[in-house]
Amino acid sequence: MSRIVLEGVTKRYGSTVALDDASLTIESGSFTSIFGPPSSGKSVLLRLLLGLETVDAGRIFIDGMDVTNALPKERNLSMVFQNLALFPHLTARENIAFPLVRRGIDSGTIDDRLDQVAGILSISHILHKKPAALSGGERQRVAIGRALVRDASAYLMDEPIAALDARLRDVMRVELKRLQSEFGHTFIYVTHDNEEAMSVADRMAILREGRIEQIDVPDAIYAKPATAYVASLVGSPRINLLNAEYTAGGVVSPLGKLAMVTGWREKLKSAKALRLGIRPEAIQVTPNDTGSDIVASVSDVERLGAFSIITSKTKDTEITAIAAGDARISVGDSVGLSINPSDCHLFDGSSGRRVV
Amino acid sequence: MNGLIIRTVAIAIVSCIALLPITWMISMAFKPAAEWTTAAGEISLIPKNPTLSNFVYVFTGNAPDQVVSLDRTVWGPLFASLLTSVIGTLIAVVCGTAAAYAVSREKINESIGLSLLQLRIFPPLAVMIPVMIMWAFLRMIDTWWGLALIYGIVTLPFSFWLMKAYFDELPREIEEAAIVEGCTPFMAFRQITLPIVASAVASTALFIFILNWSDYIIALLLTRKDWTTIPVYMNALATAASGQLYGAKAALGLIAAIPPVVLGISIQRFLVRGLTFGALKQ
Ligand SMILES: Nc1ncnc2c1ncn2[C@@H]1O[C@H](COP(=O)(O)OP(=O)(O)O)[C@@H](O)[C@H]1O
Ligand SMILES: [Mg+2]
Repeated sequence: MSRIVLEGVTKRYGSTVALDDASLTIESGSFTSIFGPPSSGKSVLLRLLLGLETVDAGRIFIDGMDVTNALPKERNLSMVFQNLALFPHLTARENIAFPLVRRGIDSGTIDDRLDQVAGILSISHILHKKPAALSGGERQRVAIGRALVRDASAYLMDEPIAALDARLRDVMRVELKRLQSEFGHTFIYVTHDNEEAMSVADRMAILREGRIEQIDVPDAIYAKPATAYVASLVGSPRINLLNAEYTAGGVVSPLGKLAMVTGWREKLKSAKALRLGIRPEAIQVTPNDTGSDIVASVSDVERLGAFSIITSKTKDTEITAIAAGDARISVGDSVGLSINPSDCHLFDGSSGRRVV
Repeated sequence: MNGLIIRTVAIAIVSCIALLPITWMISMAFKPAAEWTTAAGEISLIPKNPTLSNFVYVFTGNAPDQVVSLDRTVWGPLFASLLTSVIGTLIAVVCGTAAAYAVSREKINESIGLSLLQLRIFPPLAVMIPVMIMWAFLRMIDTWWGLALIYGIVTLPFSFWLMKAYFDELPREIEEAAIVEGCTPFMAFRQITLPIVASAVASTALFIFILNWSDYIIALLLTRKDWTTIPVYMNALATAASGQLYGAKAALGLIAAIPPVVLGISIQRFLVRGLTFGALKQ
């Protein structure tokens, strides 16, 4: 149980900057997700925390102790590797017990811990098998069991459920969250799936090419993305991002002029080129276009039951919006789109930083 | 159904062709001199008067049906072959495994591995003649250590490349999982990596043992008398009085086949399956 702090951590491989001046605080007992596309430095961040790699610059603290140059075993962290890394020559039981056996814990205690962990993960019936005889989901649970079996300062998980099928993934996600909150563990959870990152975490850090773009609670990241990039990563379907411009009268985009919201004028004063972000779920679609500001023709309808994703075109600009599942809209229809300016996000055109 | 019959027949034919020489050798080993000499005239696959005389002959140097006695029995060469092959195999497997592990994990320049191959790139004689001169200079001709050492050196590339392929296949995360749990890198190698690659080491060792065991040219050049190995000794199994001693050679061939077969069977359960099977997600 402890607080983990990264201060300006940088890691380079040749000319690749895998992690660039990353600062991050992980509170004790929190569930932090590290989210970013492939190759953004997520695994490197975990490897640096574990001490499997050494930093090129910056410091790492666990519970106030500087562990920047400490050996892996001095950090008391536990890890579920991206590829699981089970010991193929040991049974599931021996795999899970390994961290305890390594620490010379007596066999009675080991058996108790093992029963407990196996019960939580419902793998008691497969403990005698070797990894080769297990299904993907079972191996996953064994790997998680091996990490959870001992009391670590924090539990690091590198895309632990990415390889599972969709249904199992949903189940495991909920289970992990339940485990974490039940025992008050500190979890650092790496994923490239935005839904996963949002749904499990108390806090979320977003990585882009080795830089931390934003750290906040998932709701805040969704509601107030710090950059256009974050806005485009978080939320499904993807946010609409359009080029826009601030002129004296208001914000002009291919969708026309947006009415000004109070407070905008002050913040937009120095801005000129902008990126306008509108979430698909913030756009109202009306089946007939009478009385709408924006008229668009529907180019695609994806019916998902509860709602439909409508892709439409207006003046060569493609807009994705969400309509009710039973909306009577089909390809080729002309629809009206209405946008509430206060639901819009504005980013600086060159830096991508949030303006309002 | 037809396909099955054709396949069975084809396998049977191929097996017969492949096994015929071995069958022939076994049969010959148990024939008395009168049956395997050219004078015998009529040749049969099954010995008419099976006898252990050939074995007695190579082990004692005398047999009732042999005209001349041998000045050397098989004991010396058998011991020389076993000793040098085993030590050579140990050298190659231990050094090759260690080198392969280092190169695989530390991504050291692989030209080290390629340079190991140079002994194998040239025709054996082109390499072994200079070695013979060096060994003579070092007074290692006709010594067991001289022969064992060169066996270890020439088979090192095989063990290096075979083991490197296995280590490359084994993700470093498996060791790191142990390191995170408090193992030192060496402990991780000892407790995790080595047991996982044990089967690969066993099959590599078998392969190299067979290479060393069946070597002829190196032993021919680097031994004189005290440490000649079975293949060299076999070639010398002829006398002026009786010509080629085919019966004795067949018996010796059979004896020489025993160690690799015994070794192969005894480590059969280690012979390689997929190494990491089950360690990873998929
Ligand atoms: N051992 C390494 N050697 C060279 N480059 C590396 C190494 N590990 C990671 N990288 C590079 O660092 C970047 C981040 O990698 P990683 O953290 O694995 O990404 P991901 O976010 O997909 O986990 C990538 O560009 C990768 O190529
Ligand atoms: Mg990764």
